Amino acid sequence: MSDFEDKHLDFVLKHYQEGKFDTQKALQRFNEAHGIVRKLRRRVLPWVSGVAAAAAAVILCVFLFRDNGQQIQLMADAQVQEFVLPDGTEVTLAPGSKLTYSETSPRNTALEGKAYFEVARDEAVPFEITSDGAFVRVLGTKFMVDAGSSVKEVYVTEGKVLFAKSSDAEGVILTKDMQATLSPDANVPVVSMEADVNSIAWQRGSFIFDKTPLREVLETLSEHYKVSFAATDLDKQLSGEFYAEDLDLIISLIESALDVHIVKR
Amino acid sequence: MPQPDNNINFDDLFRYNYRPLCLYALHYLQDVDLSEDIVQESYAALWEKLQEGTHVLNRKSYLYMMVRNRCLDHLRKKGIPTESLKPYDTYGIIDDDDAQERSQTEAKLWTAIDSLPEKCREVFIMSKRDGLKYEEIAEELNLSVNTVRNQISKALKVLKEGVHKLYTFFFA
Repeated sequence: MSDFEDKHLDFVLKHYQEGKFDTQKALQRFNEAHGIVRKLRRRVLPWVSGVAAAAAAVILCVFLFRDNGQQIQLMADAQVQEFVLPDGTEVTLAPGSKLTYSETSPRNTALEGKAYFEVARDEAVPFEITSDGAFVRVLGTKFMVDAGSSVKEVYVTEGKVLFAKSSDAEGVILTKDMQATLSPDANVPVVSMEADVNSIAWQRGSFIFDKTPLREVLETLSEHYKVSFAATDLDKQLSGEFYAEDLDLIISLIESALDVHIVKR
Repeated sequence: MPQPDNNINFDDLFRYNYRPLCLYALHYLQDVDLSEDIVQESYAALWEKLQEGTHVLNRKSYLYMMVRNRCLDHLRKKGIPTESLKPYDTYGIIDDDDAQERSQTEAKLWTAIDSLPEKCREVFIMSKRDGLKYEEIAEELNLSVNTVRNQISKALKVLKEGVHKLYTFFFA
């Protein structure tokens, strides 16, 4: 290291305290103090599909049948996209995912793929998400639904959510930090004992590890980036937050931090 | 690494610059918690400006300027003369661009230290920050002197490599 960098290192070391200058925490603090901040990054650009009006005779059940209002489709192509629904609910869509609702009942949505929701409070009108073989009714606020694969998954970060196979099926109620999955052949979702904070890594934009064995770290990365890995010393433990932008950089950082060798397969 | 400053959203502006701004403030204030508060206040002030519809040409430079002014205000209130206070390094006064660059390098180092394995970081900090001798660390942590030496050289290696890797990692 050059003298120049040594000088920097000396300064940093003199003041270094673990857990300080934590960007994620600071951003959270900022967002909490300025409730509206998050809206700025949302692009409220729903594109209206052709007239996909279902000419259903709607009498009472606006949340069971589509009325003849216009269908709004929100899509995320190659990148994670964020939207605000008319009721103020904030939705983050994973790449390739699609959320549909009717103009007249925006709290009754249909999801293809994976999405993270921060649902605006409205006790009179439940927020509901239907997808092929899964149904979610929101009794609270922040959660993720993965309806993209055959196994449906819901992860709740805040509030209360009902998760079932369909709107009239028996379901489970999930609260903060709970996660449940529903396999195609099951009728009731199964609650996982330990929720994985990294299931919403794609939404948060970073992975968080806390004394996590390398084996699990690689499983998480593998799931996120759809790549498999081979590595030495799978029991070594990793802690820290890693920004989910560039896999190669994450890998090389882990390699030097843990002194291991990781190869992509 | 060109940063299309005004095209990135506010959250990213926060993510990319928070830690460097904290280190920038730290040079004036020598106080970690106070630096965090001042950087928060500066982001809040920028946020309000943008909400009002004020056009800010370069948001990043504007943030650095606000952080600096707030630090100087703070020092003035405490009765510390600030007339000649500029970002220093040991070779003399450095200009604003260099100060920004320095803050970014230091932010990378901070991040690299964060990413060290726990034991390795503990040993490293005890040696380099607290100035303990290898023997003292070994005794305190119940390790051999050799392990202490190895952990420290490992930490230095990671930091040396990490600083370059983290560059694109964190700010690109």
